[in-house]
Amino acid sequence: MFILKLLSTYLKVNLQQDLAYRADAIVNMVMSIIGTGWDLLGLSIIFANTKEIGGWGPSELIALMGVWRLVNVMMATIVWPNTEKFNTGVRDGSLDYTFLQPVNSQLLISITRIVIWRAFDLAIAVILIIVGMTGGNVVTSPVQIVAFLALTISGAAIIYSLWITLISLTFWFTKFDNSVTIMAALMDAGRYPAQVYPYWLRALITFVIPIAVATTVPLQALRGELVDLQILGFLAIGVAAVIVSSRVWKAGVRRYSGASS
Amino acid sequence: MQVVNKSLERPTPSAGTDPIVVEGLSKTYQVTDREGGFGAAMRSFVKRKFRDVKAVQNVSFRIGTGEIVGFLGPNGAGKTTTLKMLSGLLHPTSGTARVLGFTPWERNSGYLRAMTLVMGQRNRLSWDIPAADSFLLNQAIYRISDADYKRTFDELNELLELAPIIRKPVRNLSLGERMKCELAASLLHRPSVLFLDEPTIGLDISAQVRIRAFIKEYNRRSGATIVLTSHYMADVTALCERIIIIHHGQLKYDGKLADLSRRIAPFKLISVTLGECSDCDLTPYGTVVPSESNEASAKHSVQVKADEVATITARMLAELPVIDLTIEDPPIEDVIERAFHE
Repeated sequence: MFILKLLSTYLKVNLQQDLAYRADAIVNMVMSIIGTGWDLLGLSIIFANTKEIGGWGPSELIALMGVWRLVNVMMATIVWPNTEKFNTGVRDGSLDYTFLQPVNSQLLISITRIVIWRAFDLAIAVILIIVGMTGGNVVTSPVQIVAFLALTISGAAIIYSLWITLISLTFWFTKFDNSVTIMAALMDAGRYPAQVYPYWLRALITFVIPIAVATTVPLQALRGELVDLQILGFLAIGVAAVIVSSRVWKAGVRRYSGASS
Repeated sequence: MQVVNKSLERPTPSAGTDPIVVEGLSKTYQVTDREGGFGAAMRSFVKRKFRDVKAVQNVSFRIGTGEIVGFLGPNGAGKTTTLKMLSGLLHPTSGTARVLGFTPWERNSGYLRAMTLVMGQRNRLSWDIPAADSFLLNQAIYRISDADYKRTFDELNELLELAPIIRKPVRNLSLGERMKCELAASLLHRPSVLFLDEPTIGLDISAQVRIRAFIKEYNRRSGATIVLTSHYMADVTALCERIIIIHHGQLKYDGKLADLSRRIAPFKLISVTLGECSDCDLTPYGTVVPSESNEASAKHSVQVKADEVATITARMLAELPVIDLTIEDPPIEDVIERAFHE
């Protein structure tokens, strides 16, 4: 209850902040629509020349694009804006006040800045998933839909945990923001099914920067390609990632020395 | 400043328990150490050398309920590091501290709700939104009920005259206005221990006076315990009966401000304005202090031992054409400067 109230207050304040910059808000919405159009154009060009990519047809890829956008909404709404705020805060010491609030500091650094307009992508993502799933020959059972939703949440949690871990390393190395830049670059690989990539890249986006776990894997569950044990395994990885990243964050906070006065 | 009501008052810790108890507190930072130049930078990239910096060494003190204590020392003395440990931001290398019964660096939420740290050189408020919105965030973070929030805000508004400034984005406020809002944001949850790290830094004289008056009144109304660092002696003399001096991380003095003068600088300044006297020599009476006034002025000052003031004053009055005579304590800046280096 307290967390929901806190989140809604931050949402309100951030909305007020974003409302002050109308042009920026409109550009953000237009960019979302152009981005989706551009992605669909890319897919239509590919499917004009071939019937499938890595065993995935057009509708399934549209659904995959939807899931990828869903993860990207999280990145664009909270992860990237707060990374910028966090990196500045560590170096100039403004993070001091964050650690003195009687609230979990990991939660606080994750919601301090919320770029509301990027949440517009959320609607686009949901539409793409529904269109993709209903348009093709994706056969789904209620169990598969539940597995898909659970794995999408778990995948997003893994990506979020990776981000928390990477920014926590800043407490040890002071300047480590390039790691998040590499993470951002690899996020793009999630637009297509992991199966289309060479083995080494597939390994990289599954185990190192696990964007494939957040995008390809949930859709594999939807396509009925995963056995129960695999689904449970991926969910367990999600839970483990959240726990480990939280531990790393706490250890990092202990090391925090702030900037000198 | 007129007292309207006393609702800022809050229960104080149980009788006989000092809210701040510090025992043997030390903090050592490890910093990279390299000489200047490209070669040294390359060597440091391959093999890093570290050096220990002892920021605070074995500091102990107790502060009672409702005290305002000046925490003084030159730049780099360890003041801010100590305040950061006491507020819970830093873990010490060794030693213990109990504030309101809590170990600060455990960051118990009960503790964080009962104290505040104000740093004059840092922003608590978001730059792009009006202070009023930041206040609402604090209300949510500190779980302040609407009724309590309104009551506290009304009081802070009365003391700091916030109404005209809290609707403007913080980036458009003057430094003095911003500090008023920073103080209000830090006090909305009615903390009973305040750590104020240079709260008047960079402010003009009138803003300094207003902030000082506010701190004094807040202390009077709420009985809060306040530890204050400042480089402005006017802050210290106006607010603090007791001071703690720290230098090179070590505690140099802990006691009354008035006692410091007697202990460190047991002398007084006798200032005299002389009548017609072209060849008056003041050197037989004491050490002549260079006067800041112009040469045409007939006012001179001599520094004499405290226990000789009466005798020397009598001699001066008898031997010199004195028009006016005053006896003063030495400037507090001089006394504290001496204390740093003793």
